[in-house]
Amino acid sequence: MGLINPAAGNLDDEVTTVSSISPNWVTTRLDFLTNWARANSLWPMPFGTACCAIEYMATAASRFDIARFGMERQSFSPRQADVLICAGRLPFKLAPVIRRIWDQMPQPKWSISMGACASTGGIFDNYSMVQGIDTIIPVDVYVPGCPPRPEGLMYGILLLQKKIKGETIADDMLRDEKMVGPSGLFLRPERVDELSEPFGNSVQQTRSA
Amino acid sequence: MLQPYIPLLLLLGFVIFNAIMMLGVSHIFSTYRRTAVKIAPYESGMPVLGDARERFSIKFYLVAMLFIVFDIETVFMIPWAVAFNQLTEISGLLIIEMFVFILILAVGYVYIWKRGALQWD
Amino acid sequence: MNELSSSISALRSEFGIAIEQHLVSSGQTIAYISRDRSHDVLAWLRDTPGQEFNYLTDVTAVEYRDPERPLEVVYQLRSLGRKADLRVKVALDKRAPLEVRSVYDLWRGADWLEREVFDMFGVTFTGHPDLRRILMWETYAEGYPLRKDFPLRGHFSRAEQTRQALAANPEAHYSLEELSLAESYIELPKDMQERLARGERGFLK
Repeated sequence: MGLINPAAGNLDDEVTTVSSISPNWVTTRLDFLTNWARANSLWPMPFGTACCAIEYMATAASRFDIARFGMERQSFSPRQADVLICAGRLPFKLAPVIRRIWDQMPQPKWSISMGACASTGGIFDNYSMVQGIDTIIPVDVYVPGCPPRPEGLMYGILLLQKKIKGETIADDMLRDEKMVGPSGLFLRPERVDELSEPFGNSVQQTRSA
Repeated sequence: MLQPYIPLLLLLGFVIFNAIMMLGVSHIFSTYRRTAVKIAPYESGMPVLGDARERFSIKFYLVAMLFIVFDIETVFMIPWAVAFNQLTEISGLLIIEMFVFILILAVGYVYIWKRGALQWD
Repeated sequence: MNELSSSISALRSEFGIAIEQHLVSSGQTIAYISRDRSHDVLAWLRDTPGQEFNYLTDVTAVEYRDPERPLEVVYQLRSLGRKADLRVKVALDKRAPLEVRSVYDLWRGADWLEREVFDMFGVTFTGHPDLRRILMWETYAEGYPLRKDFPLRGHFSRAEQTRQALAANPEAHYSLEELSLAESYIELPKDMQERLARGERGFLK
């Protein structure tokens, strides 16, 4: 049980594989059981940085309880968490921190990008903000909003549960660690630029360039 | 002679077996995906700095020692209380004896008080 | 307002030519001083019995859209006893290196305030004990973000910015002792201060 080498990490996101386990009735029953267990006991790690964290706290409190969806225990240590909920904008200075926390979470792990800033950089299209945490960590569910209402976040959580219930153990690459490669990124640089491009009204923001 | 202890030994054996089984089975049947960053100690996302073995203030040791001393004193008072309850005819003598015991330990208490061992700073 | 004008007239009588101009705008008094005597003027403002500006509210800088105008370093002072504010501006010519004397020895709070101005505008404060970046990470290589010639999204591509951000190791060149003792340095005994200054990092490796 040695260490996984980052050089073996796959930076290319368009790869298809043939699984080594052929799906059959047994695997589907096992999948059903595992996925049901995982989806209904997701322990979140709230990585709250800004305003979305307040809405996350509201969602976790008594009026819009997320404990009824299985998120009974908020884990502030990545070791005991299943879902990383990045709630709030992420400056570049905080990027290595979230990457390291994501790396230190044991599999199976998922992530929810909560709010506009975590999904795309939000209104902060500038020198200091990460334009979407999907340039740094792999994201499963994006919850739009600035900030999203608690009902919005709960919809995102339920969407994640649905996604988990669709997983299968016959998929070899599902639980692979997508590590930061030797180039310093976990995606191709062109892909990072694509994801960080301005869109919508931001493309008319020419005064500052 | 050892008859009443057999259930206890069985329970002890079962507990040990249970613990070993839980850890051992998950160790055998789990997959490991260890990367260098993943097994590093968690320090809120920062790279690890320094050693976990740091110097501790001696105040903690002092408090522990003093606790032991006065706790043993309390421990001696408990069987004394049981005996006091049963030996009602010499109860006066027993009270005086206990007060002598406490007085001897109180001298020690005044000593540590005056020496400043109870001062946290 | 009368008190503030008296500050200005006292300044003028004391320093003369170093006070270049003053104006009153929206109830705030602003004094422009020359760079060479900025430290003397600020020390005088802090120490003189009638002035006593003992609280440095902020140190910041401003660069105007008009490229001809100089870059100004702004000191916002407050006299807690007299409940008076004063703004002092030092104009720095952009064609020369941007340098001004640090007021760390006058107000300890200038430590981080001047680091922020250095980080965002590139103004060097001579005499500052520890002038390094504070908002951006220390090895940030794109320049000084709040300058007018700095594009909003930075100079490098997003991929390059992400790569550099992920590679930045924030505490790489600090020792554990430095980090844990940084706040309480003043309270340490003298011999320990000397040992730390000499570079000793404790006996535990």
